[in-house]
Amino acid sequence: MNDPQSTEKKSLGAELIFPVAALVFTLYYFSTIYNSPWTAQVAAFFVGAILIALVLVFIGRVVMMKARGEADLGMRDIVEPLSILPIRFGLIGLTILFTIAIDWGGFTLTSFVFMTLSMIMLNRGKSKGLAALVAACFSLAGYLLFIVAFEIRFPHGPFENLIDGLF
Amino acid sequence: MDADLGIVLSVFWHTLSYWWVILPTIFLGLIVGAIPGFSAANTIIILLPLTLAMDLEMGLVFMVALYASSRMGAGVPAILVNIPGTAGAAATPLDGYPMAKQGRGQQALAMSFVASTVGGLLTTVLAILMMPWLAEVAFVMHSVEMIVVMLFGISLIATIASKDTLKGLIAGFLGLMIGFIGSDHVYATPRGTMGFLELYDGIPLIPALVGLFAVSEAFLVIEGDSMLTHVGREAMKKASWKETIEGCRIAFSKWWHITWTSIIGLIVGVIPGAGAAIASFVAYQQSKSFSKTPELYGTGHPEGLIAPESANNGVTSGTLIPLLVIGIPGGATAAIMLVVMQYHGVSFGPALFRNQPEIGYGMFMVMAVTYLIMTLTILPLSRYMSRVTMVSTAYMSPLIISFTLVGSFVPRQYMFDMYLALAFGVLGYVARKTGYHVAAILIGVILGPLLEQYFLRAMKMSQGDISVLFSSQLGNILWVCLALSLLVPYALDWRRNRAARAASDIPED
Repeated sequence: MNDPQSTEKKSLGAELIFPVAALVFTLYYFSTIYNSPWTAQVAAFFVGAILIALVLVFIGRVVMMKARGEADLGMRDIVEPLSILPIRFGLIGLTILFTIAIDWGGFTLTSFVFMTLSMIMLNRGKSKGLAALVAACFSLAGYLLFIVAFEIRFPHGPFENLIDGLF
Repeated sequence: MDADLGIVLSVFWHTLSYWWVILPTIFLGLIVGAIPGFSAANTIIILLPLTLAMDLEMGLVFMVALYASSRMGAGVPAILVNIPGTAGAAATPLDGYPMAKQGRGQQALAMSFVASTVGGLLTTVLAILMMPWLAEVAFVMHSVEMIVVMLFGISLIATIASKDTLKGLIAGFLGLMIGFIGSDHVYATPRGTMGFLELYDGIPLIPALVGLFAVSEAFLVIEGDSMLTHVGREAMKKASWKETIEGCRIAFSKWWHITWTSIIGLIVGVIPGAGAAIASFVAYQQSKSFSKTPELYGTGHPEGLIAPESANNGVTSGTLIPLLVIGIPGGATAAIMLVVMQYHGVSFGPALFRNQPEIGYGMFMVMAVTYLIMTLTILPLSRYMSRVTMVSTAYMSPLIISFTLVGSFVPRQYMFDMYLALAFGVLGYVARKTGYHVAAILIGVILGPLLEQYFLRAMKMSQGDISVLFSSQLGNILWVCLALSLLVPYALDWRRNRAARAASDIPED
């Protein structure tokens, strides 16, 4: 049986990700400017020093809450609700693949594949036909708007090359 | 250069005859304004060959109408799906999106359209009447004064951070540090670029905007079937035209709020290099500071939506003033207009208004006519636009990701910017899941480099003497205003609390 006290504890582990990342980035930034002229340093040292102080105060606050038993270092905030965690990771993974693949797959085809797969996954495998239809309509609309109308130089893929070859 | 009413009116009627150019341009402007990456400036650059081929008047009508309508268009996705179309609309979702989630998207859109239209029209009239004096603002704003203006915007971080000051300040200061990435402004020393050449010019704004707001939102909304709350869904089912009328009524009842926040936009717009993002942040911060109900800001408060929308439309008229009066563009779009006007041999200054009033006054009249036509066309659409919030997140989320990531590619056409938007998306997701405000990060990213630039300029000119910050009369007045705007809300709060305590201490009979 869960201890009611422990369920009321604040889960602060996830809240530390952001300040720790800020601290790491600030120290990295300092490492790139410590030999630079003062014009490159002044604003960053001033703002960075305040940021480090704020992060240390925040870490101190978390440590004190942990010591008083008011918080734990769990990651609940960032992973909950657990029921959609696999889907969320799936969407993030597909987004990364979309960003990589657009370089050689071209805008239209990659967008179509990404949207279809994401929509099917988010619908938990239902309405596959509708997902493909919506994805096709929007990728074609995007092709017409971005590439035909505004002539944005997106990387060309099989679809764009085919259309270029036909017309 | 004093405005002659007869000439102004005749130019107005003449401008109306261009309705057939303005009307389609409005729809183009609304679309490009709503897609992150497609600002008016980008679109005009893309369509520059077409603009140069038109005769001067028609080209200017096209550019000004596109400019004004894209400003209004940027607020639509900011309200409905928490994605500002441009940096100028970055403060709009603070209260606009909570309204949409509560099923008041239609009302919020109507409020935004009225605030934008009234703010835009009012500042257009003020710009015409006060042009010579307003043009002076561009001359008196030096580095020191600009530092204080930037601080007005940055102080919004503290305002946003009111729920958890420490977290808000960490987010804002990390944003400032991220904003400092890139070559330094004097010796071009690369700083914090992680070896990426694409970051030498600094952090590009659109990928940051897309990542922090759009991509992170897409990862978050999948927690539910709909972007709306349960109450919001029920409200949307019952929505009728009354919601639009109610939105208009609320906006008109806040006419004084629209007036003074749009004037903030006008003044900021006149300052070259400032722009709509600063204006909307400053307007939101001031609006909250002097509000009787500051605690409602961030929860879907009409004043919190009206302030940034009227301010960023006020900027539109403001940026034209230094362009036309002294030939200095107030922003990127105005700079492109300058190129087109120079191509056609237009001379700037008082001679423009004397010799070619149809051009000088005409640009303001196009803006006025655009706002009038926009009201008639876009207000009825608010009911249908707000239906976007009813779309299932299973479809909405992938659409948001693909179109906004692609939008982040558009301004510089680097694949790197898409990766950057994705990185900001993950940062934004972590921030939002753990209670850090992404708007505070964005304010830092936008204003950090500007603040550093003006600070270094002031330091170089004073040879490192920090007292230069308090050396100008106008600067000192602005410092006092800044201090007052930060302290007065606390004083008002303290007085309200004391009055409440006193009232509760009165013994009941």
